[in-house]
Amino acid sequence: MIQVYDPRGVVGAEKKAIAARVTALDGLRLGILDNTKWNANKLLRELRDQLKAAHPLAEVHYYRKESFSKFAAPELIEEIRRDNDIVVTAIGD
Amino acid sequence: MRVMSAQLAPVSATSVPEGTDLVEWYYERGYSDGLPVVPPTPAKVAAMLEALGGEPQQLEARVPPRWGGLTREVLAINMVMAGCRPEYAPVVRAAMLALCETAFNLNGVQATTHMASPLLVVNGPIARRIGMNAGCNAFGSGNRANATIGRAIRLILLNVGGGWPGDLDKSTLGHPGKYTYAVAENEELGLLAPYHVEKGFQAGDSTVFVMAAEPPHSVTNHVANDPQGILDSIVSAMSTFAHNNAVSSGHCAVVLGPEHATTISKAGWKRHDVKQYLWTNAHNTFGQVAFNHRYGKVYNRSLPVWYGRELDSRIPVVPSAENIHLFVIGGEAGRFSAFIPGWGHMSSPVLREIEGKGGPAAAGPRCVDGTCYL
Amino acid sequence: MHDGFSLESLGVPTAVIVTSTFVHEARVQREALGMQGIVPVVIDHPLSSISDEEIRGRAAQALAQVIGVWRGTQPDPA
Repeated sequence: MIQVYDPRGVVGAEKKAIAARVTALDGLRLGILDNTKWNANKLLRELRDQLKAAHPLAEVHYYRKESFSKFAAPELIEEIRRDNDIVVTAIGD
Repeated sequence: MRVMSAQLAPVSATSVPEGTDLVEWYYERGYSDGLPVVPPTPAKVAAMLEALGGEPQQLEARVPPRWGGLTREVLAINMVMAGCRPEYAPVVRAAMLALCETAFNLNGVQATTHMASPLLVVNGPIARRIGMNAGCNAFGSGNRANATIGRAIRLILLNVGGGWPGDLDKSTLGHPGKYTYAVAENEELGLLAPYHVEKGFQAGDSTVFVMAAEPPHSVTNHVANDPQGILDSIVSAMSTFAHNNAVSSGHCAVVLGPEHATTISKAGWKRHDVKQYLWTNAHNTFGQVAFNHRYGKVYNRSLPVWYGRELDSRIPVVPSAENIHLFVIGGEAGRFSAFIPGWGHMSSPVLREIEGKGGPAAAGPRCVDGTCYL
Repeated sequence: MHDGFSLESLGVPTAVIVTSTFVHEARVQREALGMQGIVPVVIDHPLSSISDEEIRGRAAQALAQVIGVWRGTQPDPA
């Protein structure tokens, strides 16, 4: 027998659970994270208006990433976490 | 992602019957870049591992977008497959560490629809020691070190990073540099200070520079016998709204062929002068990059806020002369240079010492007040 | 995907909107991050080159999915 090799390396991340879900949107603070790709802002503004019209949100905050391709800065993530109960982000394309 | 002192499980050892066509086997498994790979043997992998310092399960980096674990063993396997010699190991490792630094944004570079691919330029004594080509045909074929170092990087981006075309690598066109794109700077001719010395390293340090890059765009000038004439041709190549820097900002590279570099050097011009001349003169109008608002009013948030937004505003090709990375590379005959556009502000080039701490030498840059424009 | 992962890790339910061509990558990324519970919101591709009217349509397409993700009722499309 001849030995053969796997050049791929292992993908091994410890499993992480998502956050607890919410039941209703009433009185929640909504964060919107725009990754600044083309038309993400238009999509998110539309979505924000439709959400506000349908649900009594307490507050809405809008954030923009400095670069669509990089991960959001840790400071920005912390600010979003601190000031919001639910978040929507776009766009992965 | 950087992981310190982590250990991962070894790759599962598999065997195939004697007489199996190994080249075909690696093709069938989908581990090839399209060219036949060198089937690893225990001896070859061991030799490569020794050059890396042993510890096969030592995790060097995780490679996006798959975030596969690049242990020393996996690094060794891919280097053998590429056809590397063990003495190339420090270069390939340093290059992978540089590519996995956050600033480079390898995740984005792997996935983009743009054709950008990592370009590697090696500086310092190691280039000559391992036989890299910084001269005639440096960007071409025929040199084992250039060919296999660049290839090892690509095999790792494919196998470990998962950047397979059509799958997670969405590049619309690709480019030949996705087979291999590794060169050394021609420091031997001593025409300009070496790139890494300009950036604060000692000449005796060896470094890797990586940048997400388009292919080189040849610049021909067989007429000018002064720096301005030669550089005006390079300016011409830069002043187009077709490359990614024009609309996405960021960094680019300029390569001076030795004949051009000789003319420039003999006139007393230094690196700083060349970069400043190029930056000052290369430009587009904002109207060009905004398509004259033909498809709707364009602001373009990828470009710095201080660029003018009138149609006739004269805007630079990159935001500063320091975003132009200048190298002297190539053979001594031929009046050619090259412009190499980058991907954009989404990725920053990385310069990293080989086997070092990462960053300029401890003594720090020596020319902070402009007294020795290199 | 990574920002969604970061926020979910910190306890904030986050709806990540992707276009249909990105769904495969979303699946790979969430697996690589070890967070299989991320359910992407999918809208038709493309987003970048469409009219404002079509963008309104995409927002409408996303609305119910986004709320479903926050509530945990949205089925996984990936």
